[in-house]
Amino acid sequence: MRLPIVLKLPDDVKNLREPSVQELADSFLERRWIDAGPNGLAGKRIEFPGLQGTITDVLVRVEMLDGRSWTTIVHPSQPWVEITAAQTRLEVMGTFIVQGIRHILFGADHMLFVLGLLLIVKDRWMLLKTITAFTVAHSITLAIATLGYAEAPVLPLNAAIALSILFLGPEIVRSWRGETSFTIRHPWVVAFAFGLLHGFGFASALTSAGLPKAELPVALLSFNVGVEIGQLSFVALILSLERAFRILEVHWPRWAEALPGYTVGSLGAFWTVQRLAIMFGGAR
Amino acid sequence: MKGATQSRLPLYAFVVFTCVMCVFPAEAHLNSTGMGPFYDGLIHFLMSPEDIVPVLALALLAGLRGARYGRRALFTLPVAWLLGGLAGLSAMTAKPHPFIAAAWFLLLGGLLAADAKVSLRVTTALAALLGLYHGYLNGIGMGQFDTAAVALLGLVFAVFILIALAAAFVVRLRTHWARIAVRVAGSWIAASGLLMLGWAVRTR
Repeated sequence: MRLPIVLKLPDDVKNLREPSVQELADSFLERRWIDAGPNGLAGKRIEFPGLQGTITDVLVRVEMLDGRSWTTIVHPSQPWVEITAAQTRLEVMGTFIVQGIRHILFGADHMLFVLGLLLIVKDRWMLLKTITAFTVAHSITLAIATLGYAEAPVLPLNAAIALSILFLGPEIVRSWRGETSFTIRHPWVVAFAFGLLHGFGFASALTSAGLPKAELPVALLSFNVGVEIGQLSFVALILSLERAFRILEVHWPRWAEALPGYTVGSLGAFWTVQRLAIMFGGAR
Repeated sequence: MKGATQSRLPLYAFVVFTCVMCVFPAEAHLNSTGMGPFYDGLIHFLMSPEDIVPVLALALLAGLRGARYGRRALFTLPVAWLLGGLAGLSAMTAKPHPFIAAAWFLLLGGLLAADAKVSLRVTTALAALLGLYHGYLNGIGMGQFDTAAVALLGLVFAVFILIALAAAFVVRLRTHWARIAVRVAGSWIAASGLLMLGWAVRTR
């Protein structure tokens, strides 16, 4: 299904030939060959009316006749982009780093999974192993999926990611009660296994459609760096909060101590059921 | 008693889960704009200096007085903010008064700069008043959105985190110069309040 988004070029731009449109599994690709006139596109605005009413992003790539190229991602909060005179490789990297940070920080399911892991680990060494295992695993599948060696269908993938969160819920409660299990003893194994799934999820946010092969490694690396920055910031925030509560000598009631575990489990269950319903009921 | 509480938790969780299932659509991947009203509220707070600076000043002030004060501010301010916000959601119109915004900067910045030995009661009252006032203004600003209550929760969550981190940071400070640095921050906040006041008078 095509979203109600329209590509609007500056008024003085002429189409040199018919636009090419291509519907992919999870994206829509539109190519235009244009004549921007003697002044070029610099300083002009490309707009996407309708984008503001959606929750999707648009990857914009402009290739000039002289070989220069320009890539950015447009978000619904600002459904237009202004073309600058020239774009360096660093700027392209910046675009994808920001996209990676946005994806992890605004992807409630990934954050909830990391939170679940943090609630299970007992000491710093185990924390280091677990976060490293998650990072290595999701980097592997992110690279594999983005480079086109493997693909995971979106609906089952989302359901499986939700299931990974649901899986952690009972483990957190078990850990809180002082019980033990394989996950509690070796959380890094679980982090690695489910990290492979989450990597495919990250790949769905890294729009590779329309990117030339030469630029894919930079985009992939930058996006992954962004994901790591976001993930480590989140871990640092949770650890700082935990320390802050100790410094302020906050004594939580028992129900409040158990709340994070039940929140992780309940949301995991909610998303699992809902995504399974979407999967078996057809895409919504 | 503990056992009873523990045994009821799965039941409560189930009830909450059932309610949530009935009400909200699945929006786990909020990686685009749609980051969800919770994130909108959270980011609104972090991007609003007129909200964040007085909260920071209060947290630093409470932190200078010790863990007990920090703890009191940690729970009073977010609760008051939430109550003020809920009241604001149902209010039709109100305009933030520039003098009051400047007064908060001056008052809290001044107290912090002076390392004022405020009592626990005064700290609680300041936290409650600040939370009610700013929460009310935030609530009015969000009133037009259906999801405003969830946005308000995000905002309150951000307030809670900021107070916890800032107050705990100052409680941990032991060296004399570090505590003076915190007081200097207070003087900057008070100076900003003076500038705001001057601007408000000039543009009146």
